[in-house]
Amino acid sequence: MISAVQFRNFKALRSAAVKLGPFNLVIGPNGSGKTSLIQALLRLRSLAGLPAAHRHEEPPPNAAGPELVFHFNPPYQNLHVTLACDTNDFVCNLLVVDHPPGLDGERQWAGLRARLLTIRAFLFDHYAMALPARREDGAQLASNAGNLAAVLAARREKFPAAFALLEEEFRRLVPEFAGLDFRPTPSGQIELVARTAANGGELLAADSLSQGTLYLLAILTLAHDPEPPAIVCLEEADRGVHPRMLREVRDALYRLSYPQDCGEAARAPVQVIATTHSPYLLDLLREHPEEVVLANKQGNAASFERLSDRADLVELLCEASLGDLWYSGILGGVPGE
Amino acid sequence: MKLAILSESPADEAALRVLVEYVLGAPFATVQPALRARGWPSVEQVLPAILRHLHFNTAADGLVVVVDSDDTVVHDDPHEAVGYYHPLCRICRLRAVFRRTLKNLPPAHGRSAGQQKVLRAVGLAVPAIEAWYLCGRDTAVTETAWIAGQASGRQPYSRRELKWRVYGTERPSLPFELRRAVQEVSRHQGDVRRLENDFPRGFGALAQDLRSWRSAAASPPAPAPLA
Ligand SMILES: [Zn+2]
Repeated sequence: MISAVQFRNFKALRSAAVKLGPFNLVIGPNGSGKTSLIQALLRLRSLAGLPAAHRHEEPPPNAAGPELVFHFNPPYQNLHVTLACDTNDFVCNLLVVDHPPGLDGERQWAGLRARLLTIRAFLFDHYAMALPARREDGAQLASNAGNLAAVLAARREKFPAAFALLEEEFRRLVPEFAGLDFRPTPSGQIELVARTAANGGELLAADSLSQGTLYLLAILTLAHDPEPPAIVCLEEADRGVHPRMLREVRDALYRLSYPQDCGEAARAPVQVIATTHSPYLLDLLREHPEEVVLANKQGNAASFERLSDRADLVELLCEASLGDLWYSGILGGVPGE
Repeated sequence: MKLAILSESPADEAALRVLVEYVLGAPFATVQPALRARGWPSVEQVLPAILRHLHFNTAADGLVVVVDSDDTVVHDDPHEAVGYYHPLCRICRLRAVFRRTLKNLPPAHGRSAGQQKVLRAVGLAVPAIEAWYLCGRDTAVTETAWIAGQASGRQPYSRRELKWRVYGTERPSLPFELRRAVQEVSRHQGDVRRLENDFPRGFGALAQDLRSWRSAAASPPAPAPLA
């Protein structure tokens, strides 16, 4: 979907660029631009919802202000989208699109725009997930997954096959449970409950489930979305999950990015941009350094680097695990002390 | 017999269980929870602690460790000479950790006099365990081919290609990986001669270690039960 982003004066990203693949794990210290990258995509989504300007129609933007340039993969490789700022408050408020001339160009932009409007970002919160939700809020998973109960209930109703697959995966990952169910609360909301495999199928309310169970369930909800967004950003992808279960987190996200690898070639791939501070999750990308983006911070300026661009990586990996290499600082992407 | 298997993933462990049973010729129990390592060199670093734990806190008779060779030196006959140790060979290194660690452990309560030490079984998958899965199905995948590639500087296949050949993707899901692993090693139906022929150094060393356990397994059981 998005092949590259160039940043100018966007938060700590003074002059930076990042190439993006189908799956991207971004690592780096706080303030290194991981969240700024995701904010840039959310800004792109917001401004794509407004009427777009075309290059020739625009007043010159504030030259000292922020500027973001997005490049895209086929079939949108001939379009570029620039977010800029024409005011003095240094917030991108302007979307300028460069597309091929004529009706065909307009059509391409309409297609791309529709995809951009689906961009979603998540930072799951197990307190929010454990709460009951209003049944009518189940159309789309909220950024903190606070409407998990409603989303899953709606999915069971509208997409029973997709729900069944999700439930099967849930049982595999958390074998103490036999399934999921829903029950109304006295306040008219809907509550998520899990049925235990033992004890005669006892029902456990979401607020009695472990954090890890809720986080895994939220990730499965994303991974088995029958109508997924074009781009999923997931902050702290390892959150609340046992290191031994991180392989499942990686695989669930791979399921989105590489549908052909799980026998679902007909499904459109979802571009995934995940962040983590877990060396254990990073270890799982040892064979795919092209999927790792290192966010670096030098003074107040941040920049990005692909792990696969590191020439001596193969030799380094003979000496230490990827997670340990990162922690040591020799790869970059660590806080200044 | 009770043993421990130190592996990188549940899929590797499942395949190793099948192969170890083929070589031992008898079913066995394993210590719980299952042991996991994060690949080289974490295996080497964590091994002394694992041996200490198995020695004092479990009734494990032996520990099976299999690591990938990646691009390192493949264990060879000259390494078997008494007192020889190749610093770049992962089998030699792991054997040295076994030796060093077990030598210094005092007798553990509950371990029989005949079997004070945790038995060793160390294998090397050249260059990765997927090569073993292809044994007998893809005749181009052998230790000889890999070592010739190391000598000429042109490897016949990469780890990623081996994954592709086994799973049809570089990114298999864990259940699929596990299923394929067990399916492929089960093809040998209890007979590991082909594996020993095609992977004489890495798999051969493992099989040799395991066979040496048979006599140890015949010794009387520990007097007091451990976990
Ligand atoms: Zn050796």
